[in-house]
Amino acid sequence: MTVYSFYIFDRHAECIYKRRWLPRPTSIVGKSGQTPGAAPVGLGQTVKAGDDDAKLVFGTVFSLRNMVRKLGGEEDNFVSFNTSQYKLHYYETPTNIKFVMLTDLKSPSMRIALQQIHINLFVEYVVKNPLSPVEHPGGIGVNNELFEESLEQFVQTRVLA
Amino acid sequence: MAAPPRHSSMMATNAGAPQSGANDRQQVTQQSLTPQPTQGLRVPSNRKTIYDRHLNRSRNAESSRASFAYLFGEMVTYAQRRVTGIQDLEKRLNEQGYPLGLRLLDLLFYRSTSTSSSALSSSSTSSSPPNRPLRIITLLHLIHGPLWRLLFQRSADALEHSVSPDTPNEYMITDNDPLVNTYISVPREMSMLNCAAFVAGIIEGVCDGCGFEAKVSAHNQPTEMWPSRTVFLVRFGDSVMEREKVLERNGVK
Amino acid sequence: MLHTQAVFSLIIINKAGGLIYQREFQAGLRKLSTNDYLVLAGTFHGVHAITRSITPKIPLAPTTNSPAASPGTSTPAASSYSYPNPGASVSGLDYLESDKFRLTCFQTLTGTKFLLFTDPMTGNVETIINKIYDLYADYVMKNPFYQLEMPVRCEAFDRHLGAWLRGRT
Repeated sequence: MTVYSFYIFDRHAECIYKRRWLPRPTSIVGKSGQTPGAAPVGLGQTVKAGDDDAKLVFGTVFSLRNMVRKLGGEEDNFVSFNTSQYKLHYYETPTNIKFVMLTDLKSPSMRIALQQIHINLFVEYVVKNPLSPVEHPGGIGVNNELFEESLEQFVQTRVLA
Repeated sequence: MAAPPRHSSMMATNAGAPQSGANDRQQVTQQSLTPQPTQGLRVPSNRKTIYDRHLNRSRNAESSRASFAYLFGEMVTYAQRRVTGIQDLEKRLNEQGYPLGLRLLDLLFYRSTSTSSSALSSSSTSSSPPNRPLRIITLLHLIHGPLWRLLFQRSADALEHSVSPDTPNEYMITDNDPLVNTYISVPREMSMLNCAAFVAGIIEGVCDGCGFEAKVSAHNQPTEMWPSRTVFLVRFGDSVMEREKVLERNGVK
Repeated sequence: MLHTQAVFSLIIINKAGGLIYQREFQAGLRKLSTNDYLVLAGTFHGVHAITRSITPKIPLAPTTNSPAASPGTSTPAASSYSYPNPGASVSGLDYLESDKFRLTCFQTLTGTKFLLFTDPMTGNVETIINKIYDLYADYVMKNPFYQLEMPVRCEAFDRHLGAWLRGRT
């Protein structure tokens, strides 16, 4: 399977982390891009073209999540959707942090994976990091080395599996 | 490609795929007229116009139910323009059917005789003259059976005489599921409307063509099993009833 | 395998995003007001377009140095990426899964959307939706009293749809 991109949204509907992968798992297309001047070499164009992707992705998952709650009741959860081209996976923590991952259609359910990213990576390396602020405006505190590297590793193992 | 069906066989539809009368094609027109280069008439490349075909060619031909549904839908939509009410609309549908009934009658007689003759021998062209119905019951049986089969490939479902002594001139023909209404849902505010008024018009045309003055109307009589059950009420004129009495006295069948 | 054939409800959205049909077949989802359904239809219409626009684009070749990697491309800017699944046309949301239901969206070539809410375990949703489209083409589009893009009030459609779904289980 292939992972195309990964987003984290905080409870203020802000995108605090965003990462994209090329279909070939080894090359990283771009990192969060929140800090100016951190444009990745060579493929800056692609990243720029999708700069407001995060907003669209948020709008989509937010609307769909509300729709699911409305129809299925408060305890229902929006899990994923498919188009003819990609699959979007969604996981929301009780603290209202939303994890979103776009993969190819062959991907199995990534719900557990997203949950693991939350528990094993986000909580461990961001929440428990004493240097990281409580809120992450503009992605501060999330884009630390430990988190990014372990996320990369986590996705790699998934992709190869 | 299926031959363009003539108007008369337009309604001989079936749920199955449209079949052109492929086997009829062989026997079509030996008498091909020396084709005159007429400008107005569209002549197919094989020089055989619709007039060159044998009348029985489309006898077993079927036309697509969908084509008919769209066509009839447009007819209803057309009739709906500039109408003042349901009765007006039914009258228009009736008027659309009436000439069809008149013309259809000739084909019906032609076919009913040519079948019997061709059953004996295909070469014999002389056969007993078509027996035009003289009595009401014969006429109604003609409508209930052959006409219905020509139009819908099945007989009508019931034929009744009015039980009321006040209206001896009223007869009812029932169709449990009229083909014309298959896809039609009448809006609630027009619940009295029955688009089979068109078929009523055809029946009226057939009756008139046989010399039976009549008024025919279509009425909804839904049952649980047949939600679009329709009763065609045939009301014969006084002159017809009078003649009927005379014929009965003289023992004419 | 009990209750795996449940079909909860059907929504039809016209090409402008307006709700033209809503019907519940089996209980399982919460009941919404007519107004909520109208909002849902409009929202879904918009979201459907967005899900299509956020399709990942895969660069065909590194844009900086691509020696003859993409010959014959007249407009390099436009054709410098492809979609993940080039075999299929780019669509919006096809189906959505939640814990309690599955929402399948079928869009006709003319832009009408059929939204079918089923149990997540219900199989052959494709067949069901195709049949619904069939019935729609027959009993809605062939009805002379139906005005295009307007709410569907066709008794024959309701009747046949209900009968077919009942006969299916």
